[in-house]
Amino acid sequence: MLKFIHTADIHLDSSLRKLDSYEGAPVDEIRQAARRAFNNLVKLAISEKVDFIVIAGDLYDGDWKDFNTGLYFVSQTAKLRDAGISVYIIFGNHDAASKITKSLRLPDNVHTFPSNKPETFLIENLNAAIHGQSFASPSVKKDLSLHYPSPVPGYFNIGLLHTSLSGREGHEPYAPCTLEGLRRWGYDYWALGHVHQKEILCDDPLILFPGNIQGRHIKETGPKGCVLVDVDSSGKPSFKFKPLDVIRWTNLEIDAQGAQTSDDILDLFSSSLENLLIENPEIPLVIRVLIKGETPAHQELCADFEKWNNEIRGVALDISGEMVWIEKIQIGTYPPLSEKTSGKGEGAMGELAGLFDELKSDPDLLLTLYDELRDLDQKIPREIKEDPDGVILDDPAWLKKMLEQVRPMLFQRLLQKEG
Amino acid sequence: MKFLQLNLLAYGPFTDTVIDFTRESGGFHIIYGPNEAGKSSALRGLKNMLYGIPQRSTDNFIHPHPQMRIGGTIESAQGDILEFVRRKGIRGTLRLPDDGDIIEESVLTRYLNGVDEDLFITMFGIDHGDLIRGGEEIIHGKGNMGQLIFAAGSGISRLRKVQEQLKSEADALFKPAAKKPKINENISVLNKNRKNLRDAQLPGQQWESHDKGLRLARGKKKEIVKELEEKKSSLYYLKRVQQSLPIIAKRKELINELKSYVKAILLPKKFSELRSNRVASLNSMEKERLQASGSKKDVENELSNLQVPGDLIDRSSEIEELHRDIGSQLKGEKNRLKLQTRMNLLQNETKDILSLLGDDLKIENAYKLRIKVSEASRIKTLGRGHDKIITRLETAEETIPKLAATITAANRKLKESGILHDIAPLKDSLRRADDYKVLEKQYIDEQSKITIELKTLEIELGKQSLWQGSVKELESLSVPEADIINIFEDKIGESELKIAQLKGELLGLEKNLSDAEKQISELNLKQEVPTEKDLAAAREKRDKGWHLILSILNDRSDYSEKIDDYITDYIQKTPTAKTLADAFEISLKKADEISDRLRREADRVTAKVKLIVDQESFNVQIDQMKNRIKTALKEKREIEKEWVALWEPAKISPKTPKEMRIWGENHRALAQKGKDIRERKARGDKLKTDIDHHIKILNRCMKKIAGINGGGSKRLTDLIEEGKKVIEYENDLQKNKKHLEKENIRLNQELEEAQARVDSTRGELLKWEKNWKEALLPLGLGAGTHPDDANAVMAEHHNLFEKLKKLDTLKEEINAIGLDKDKFCAKVDSIVNAVAKDLADVLPQEASRKLNDRLSMARAAFSKEETLLGQLKKDKDRIAKARVKISEIESQLNQMCREAGCERYEQLAEAENRSKIRWELENGIKELGERLHPLSGGALIDDFIKDALMVDPDTLENKILLLEEEIEKCDHEKSELDQTIGSERTELDKMDGSARAVGLAEESQILMGRLEKDAQEYARLKIAAKILNMGIERYQEKSQGPILKRASSLFKLITKGSFEGIRAEFDDNGTPVIVGVRPGNGELVGVEGMSDGSADQLYLALRLSGLQDYLEKNEPVPFIIDDILIKFDDTRAIAALQVLAQISRQTQVIFFTHHTHLLRLVEKNIDDSIFVQHQLV
Repeated sequence: MLKFIHTADIHLDSSLRKLDSYEGAPVDEIRQAARRAFNNLVKLAISEKVDFIVIAGDLYDGDWKDFNTGLYFVSQTAKLRDAGISVYIIFGNHDAASKITKSLRLPDNVHTFPSNKPETFLIENLNAAIHGQSFASPSVKKDLSLHYPSPVPGYFNIGLLHTSLSGREGHEPYAPCTLEGLRRWGYDYWALGHVHQKEILCDDPLILFPGNIQGRHIKETGPKGCVLVDVDSSGKPSFKFKPLDVIRWTNLEIDAQGAQTSDDILDLFSSSLENLLIENPEIPLVIRVLIKGETPAHQELCADFEKWNNEIRGVALDISGEMVWIEKIQIGTYPPLSEKTSGKGEGAMGELAGLFDELKSDPDLLLTLYDELRDLDQKIPREIKEDPDGVILDDPAWLKKMLEQVRPMLFQRLLQKEG
Repeated sequence: MKFLQLNLLAYGPFTDTVIDFTRESGGFHIIYGPNEAGKSSALRGLKNMLYGIPQRSTDNFIHPHPQMRIGGTIESAQGDILEFVRRKGIRGTLRLPDDGDIIEESVLTRYLNGVDEDLFITMFGIDHGDLIRGGEEIIHGKGNMGQLIFAAGSGISRLRKVQEQLKSEADALFKPAAKKPKINENISVLNKNRKNLRDAQLPGQQWESHDKGLRLARGKKKEIVKELEEKKSSLYYLKRVQQSLPIIAKRKELINELKSYVKAILLPKKFSELRSNRVASLNSMEKERLQASGSKKDVENELSNLQVPGDLIDRSSEIEELHRDIGSQLKGEKNRLKLQTRMNLLQNETKDILSLLGDDLKIENAYKLRIKVSEASRIKTLGRGHDKIITRLETAEETIPKLAATITAANRKLKESGILHDIAPLKDSLRRADDYKVLEKQYIDEQSKITIELKTLEIELGKQSLWQGSVKELESLSVPEADIINIFEDKIGESELKIAQLKGELLGLEKNLSDAEKQISELNLKQEVPTEKDLAAAREKRDKGWHLILSILNDRSDYSEKIDDYITDYIQKTPTAKTLADAFEISLKKADEISDRLRREADRVTAKVKLIVDQESFNVQIDQMKNRIKTALKEKREIEKEWVALWEPAKISPKTPKEMRIWGENHRALAQKGKDIRERKARGDKLKTDIDHHIKILNRCMKKIAGINGGGSKRLTDLIEEGKKVIEYENDLQKNKKHLEKENIRLNQELEEAQARVDSTRGELLKWEKNWKEALLPLGLGAGTHPDDANAVMAEHHNLFEKLKKLDTLKEEINAIGLDKDKFCAKVDSIVNAVAKDLADVLPQEASRKLNDRLSMARAAFSKEETLLGQLKKDKDRIAKARVKISEIESQLNQMCREAGCERYEQLAEAENRSKIRWELENGIKELGERLHPLSGGALIDDFIKDALMVDPDTLENKILLLEEEIEKCDHEKSELDQTIGSERTELDKMDGSARAVGLAEESQILMGRLEKDAQEYARLKIAAKILNMGIERYQEKSQGPILKRASSLFKLITKGSFEGIRAEFDDNGTPVIVGVRPGNGELVGVEGMSDGSADQLYLALRLSGLQDYLEKNEPVPFIIDDILIKFDDTRAIAALQVLAQISRQTQVIFFTHHTHLLRLVEKNIDDSIFVQHQLV
C-alpha cells in the first residue's frame, strides 16, 4: 500500500574525525563519505521504488558553511523527483544553525515543515498524513510533540520529530518528550531523529531512531543507515534496516592474556581482524585497536610505540589489502605479577622506579611535568585538546596514563645494551 | 645470592660441563677459556640459567633448541639453596634438578632479590665495551657529576646518549619557535588548509544574488524579443514594397506592348530550326548528284587504257618456288666447302692415333683393332680387384707383431698380481659379530650414563636428611610403606583436628558464658530485674507482717514477748520503718511493687531468668569439654609413640608423617634409581662378555689372513670395519686376476686369426695374376702390364673408333648437297621454255630472279582493273539516291508553308520572327509576376499591387531607416542581456555542489589525527627526559657523598697513585663536575685532560663504588666481569684485580678472561685463599 524510507542525522559533508593517514591507509575510502552514503540512500529509494522519504532533522552539519553542500542536495533530490519520489524534511538543531537551510531553493518534490507551528502534509492518493515541525533555533527546550495535530482518520499518520526523547547519553536534550506521550498520540509511526544510534523504542505504534547514515568517529560504530518501512493493506507497518555507510567504524579489543611475546599478540590481532572482516564483508573499516590484559609482552609493547603502530598497520594491510584503516592503537596491558614484583632494587634504577610510583600518587608532583609541555599546549589546535579522547596535557589523569607508557619506554632505552 | 654451581648440561659447545663455585677458598672466580673454548657461551649460560634462554638463542650449534639445558645451584643470603634445571622454551622452563616438575619462576625471583634481567646485565655485569663507552661518556659528558653518579649507581654506560636521543627525538617533533619540526610544520599546514577551506566555502548570498540576476535578465530578454519581432515585421513589409515598385511599373509596360502582336501565329519553338535544316539538305543533295556524274566519266576512260598478261599469272606458284630456292642453293654451296675441310682434318687425326698404337694399319683397316665389350669389361673388373687384395695383405701382415707384444705385457701383469686367501671363515665371524656392533655403542653410552647417574645419585644421597648411607645400603633400608605413613598421617591429623575442634568448641562455650554474664550485668545495670523469687520473698515478708498484725488484732492470748521480738526484728529488717504498721505498709507496697514490676517488666524478667539458666548450663558444659580435651591429648601422645616405634628398624627418628611421606617418596625414588642402575649395570656386564668373545674370534681370523699386522683392535666396531676392508681387498684381488686371464686368452685367439688372414690373401693374389694374363690377350698386352696401363690403351681405342664414325657421316652430307643442285636447274629450264624463251641463255639462278620480277608486274595490272570496276558501280548508285532525296525534301517544305500561312518557303522566315516576339512579351509579364510573388508576403499579386501602390513612395525610405535604427537598438539590448544571462549562468554553473571544501575539511581532520599522534609521542619523550633528570638529581643528592668518597680511593688504587683521587668541582657554567687530583701538589685535572686509559679507570672506579653502595644496602648479587683489563698495563691490571679481590669479600666476583697473562698476574699477586681458577676446555 505504502512504502517509504525514514532517515535522519545525515550531516551532509561532515568529515570523519582525526584520522592520521599512513602508507597503505585507504585514503580514498574516507573521501566524501557522507555524500557517498547519501548517494546510497538515493539509489536505494529509486531501486525500492519508495513513495517518499522522510528526513527527521539534521540534514546539514551546523557549523558547515559551504553552500555547495546545499546544491549537492538539490542535485540528488532532482534525481528523486525524476523517479517520482517526494521528500519530507523537518529541520533539527544542526539545520537551524546552518546558513544553507535559509537560502537554498529546493525542487518542488521536497517539502519542508515550518518552525513556528506544526503542519500536516496529506498525500491523497496514498492515504498518508505526515505531521511535523522544524526547529526554529538550534536549542529548542520545549516539547514540540504536545502541539502536533490530531491524527487524520482513515489515513496512515506519520509524526516527524527531532528529539532527544527523555534524554540520551552524548546527545543534547532538545525538544524533550516522553515515549508514553508519543504512544498515546494515536499516530501509526513516529519517525524520530537526533540520536545517532539506531534504537527501536516501541513496536506498536512503531517509534524509532534510525541513527545516522555514516559513522564519523569512534563513538559511532557499527553499520549505519536508514529504515525502509512497508505499510500493508491493513495499515500495519513493518520495517527493515538498510545499511548505507561507505566505511564503518569498529572497536577491536584484543585480550592479550596468555600472549607470551609480541608475535603472539600480532597473531591474536590478525585472527580477530579476520573475524571482523568476515562480519563486515565488502566494506572498508576504520578500526580502533585496544590491547588489554595481563601479559609478559607488556614491556615490549610499550618500549617502542611507533614500531607497534607500524607492525599492526602492516598486518592489517596484509590481511585486508587496503580495506582497513587503523585509527588508533591503545595499549591497556599490564605486566604479570611476577614481573611487577621484580624491580630495580635499591640503586639508581630503583630510585628512578620509585620516582615513577611517587609521580603516580602525588598529583602536585605529577603536574610539574606539564611545565615541559606548556609550549606545545599553547600551539596545538583546540579540537585536539577538547576531545576527551585527545591530548589533554594539563590533565593529571591523562598524565598518569602517559606515565604507564613512558616507564617501560625509558627503562628499555636505559637498560638496552649496545652493540 | 651467590652461585654454587653452573652445570652447562647441553648448551653452546658444552655437554655436562660443571663450573663449581662452592669451594671454600673464596669468592673471586677467574674463568679462563682460550679462544673458541666457549668463554662467551659460558657467560651467556650463566645469565640464561637465571633468566631463561632467549627464543632465538645461537648457542644451539651442537644441542638443538629443544635439548638445550643449563643446571644451576644458587644460595640466598639466608643460606637457602635452590637447585634447578633451566630448559629452553616458552613457559615452564624452570624445573626440578631431575628436569621433571616445574618450579614457579617466583621462587627463583625471591633469590634474585627482585633484580630483573635488564638490571642484572646492566648493573651486575661489565664488559670491555661498557668500560670503553663509560670512559668516552666521561670525556664527552665533561665529567658531569649527576650523570656520573647515576651511571655509577645504575651501571648504565650510555646515559648521556639516552638523554641526547630523547632530546633530539623530541626536537624533531616540536620546538616552540621553529618551523621545521614535524608538529610545527603540520600546524602551519593545518592553518593554511583552514584558510583554503574558508576560501573554498561558497556563501549562500553569493548564490542567491547570481540566481536573482539570472532570473531578472531572462524576464527582460523576453520583452525585448517580442518588441524586436514586431519592428522587424514592419521593416520587412516596407522593404518588400520598396523592392516591388519598379517591377510593377515594368510589368505594366509589357502588357501594353503585347497588344500589337495579338494576331501573330504562335509557331512551335523548333519550327525555325527545322525549316533552315530542310533548306540546307535540299542544297547539299543537288551538289552530290553533280559530283557522282563527273566521277563515272573518269573511271570509264581509265579502264579502256589497261592490259593484263594471263600466262605468267597462271604459273605464278612455280616461279615463286624457284625464286625461294635461290637462297638455299647458295647456302648449300658454302656448306660443302666447310664439310670438306673438316673431313681432311679428321683423317689426319685418325692417322696419328694409329701410329701411336704402333700398328701400321691404314684407316680403312683400322676396324680390325676393335675388341668385344665383355673382354673390355673383364679387364676393368680385374684391374679394380687388384688394389683391394694388396691392401688386405699388407694390413694382416702388420697386425701380427703388435699382438705378440700385447700378449707378453699381459702375462707379466698376471704374474705380478698377489696371492689369494681363503676369506670364508672371516666372513662368517663378521656376520655373527655384526649384531653386536650397535650393542657395543649402546654399551659404551650406557656405561657413561650409568657412571653419571651413579654420581648424581651419590650426590643426592649425600643431600638426603635423616639417613646417611651408601647406594648399596639404600635399597635394603626398611622404610615403612606409604600406606602405613598415610594411616599415621590421618590418625595424627584426625586427633589434632579433634583437639582443635574441641578447643574451638570450648572457646565458643566460654564466649557464650561471658556473653550471658555480660547480658545479665547489662540488665541489672539499668535496674535490678525482679524475679519470681524476689516476689515470693516480698510476699512472705508481707504475710509475716500481716500475721504479726493479726496476732495483735485477733487474739491477744498468745501474745508474748516472743512476738514483740518478732515485731522488733520485722521492723528492723524493714528499712526506714519505725512501727509495725509502717513496716507492714512498706512490705505490702514492696510486694505489690514487685508484683507490678513482674507484670510490667515481664520481658526483662523472662530474659534474666533465661540468662541465669543458660549461665549455669554453660558452666557445666565447659567442665565437660575440658575433660574431653584432656582425653584427646592423651590419645594423640599414644599415636605419636607408635609412629616413632614404626621407624626404629630404619634407625630413623621421624618428623611429621607429612614430611616423612615426602621423605619416603624421595627415598623410594632414590632407591628405585639405585635399583635401575644396578640392573642396567648387570645387563651391561653380560653384553660386554659377549662382545669380548667376538673380538677374540675376529682377531684370530684376521691374523691368519693378514699375518702379524691383522687384528689387534680392542673395540669390536673397529675390528668389524677392519675385517670388512680385508674382505673387500681380497674380493678386488680375485676379480682383477680373473679379468687378466680372460684378456690373455682373447689376445692369443686374435693372433691366430691374423696369421690365417695373411695366408688366404696370398692365395687370392696368385689366382688373380692368372686371370689377368688371359684377359689381356685380346689387347695384345703382356701379363706384366699394370691395370692402369691396360685401361689407358683401352681409352685410346675408344677415341679412334669415335673419329672413324664421324668421318663416315661427313662424306654422306657432301653427296646430298650435289644432288639438290641438279634438281633446281631442271625446273628453271622447263619454265623458261614455256613462257620466256628470251631468257634461255641466262644462268638458271638469274633466270629465276627475272621471272619473278615479271610476275610481280602482271599481278599489279590485274589488281588495278578490279578497283576501277568497283568505283564505276558506286558512282551509278550515288546518282540514283540523290534524285530520290531531293523530291522528299521538296514535299516537306510545302507542308510547312501551309502551317505558317505562306505561299513559298522563302516567306517562312518573316512568319517565324512575329511568332517569336509574341512569345517573349508573354514570358516577360509572367516572369515579373513571379518576382512579385515572394515580395507579396503571401497575399494575391493583384491585392498586393493595389496595397503597394497606396504607400507613399517618397516617405518610404525614411520610414525604413527609422525602423532599422530602432531594431539595431533592440538587438544591442538583447545581446547585453544575453551576456548577463551567460555570465550569471557561468557563475551558477561554477557553484555545482562541488566537494572541494569537503576535501579540504577532510585534509584538516587527517592533519589533526597526525598532530594528535605526534603530540602524544612528544609528550612521552619530554616526560621521559624530565623524569630521568629528576631521578638523576635525586640519586645524586642521596648518594653523591659515599660514592664519590669510595670512588676516589678506588681510583687512587687502580691508577697506582698516578692520581691522589677525585673530587667535586664546579665548571665555568657552575655545573658540578668530577675532576682528578694529582698527588703532591694537589693539581686538579679535568676529565678532558685525562688519557683514555685513565678515563676508563675512572669509570671502573665509579662503577665499583656504585656497586659497593648497592651491596651495603641490599642483599648481595654476583658481579660478572668479561675481560675488562685487556688494555690495562700490568701494574694497573694488578691494582684492579686486587680491588676486585677486595670486593669479592662482599659478593661473588666472576671474572671471565681468555688472557693467560692475566691468570699469571692473579696467581702471583692475589692471595690464593681468595681466588679460584676455572678452566674451560
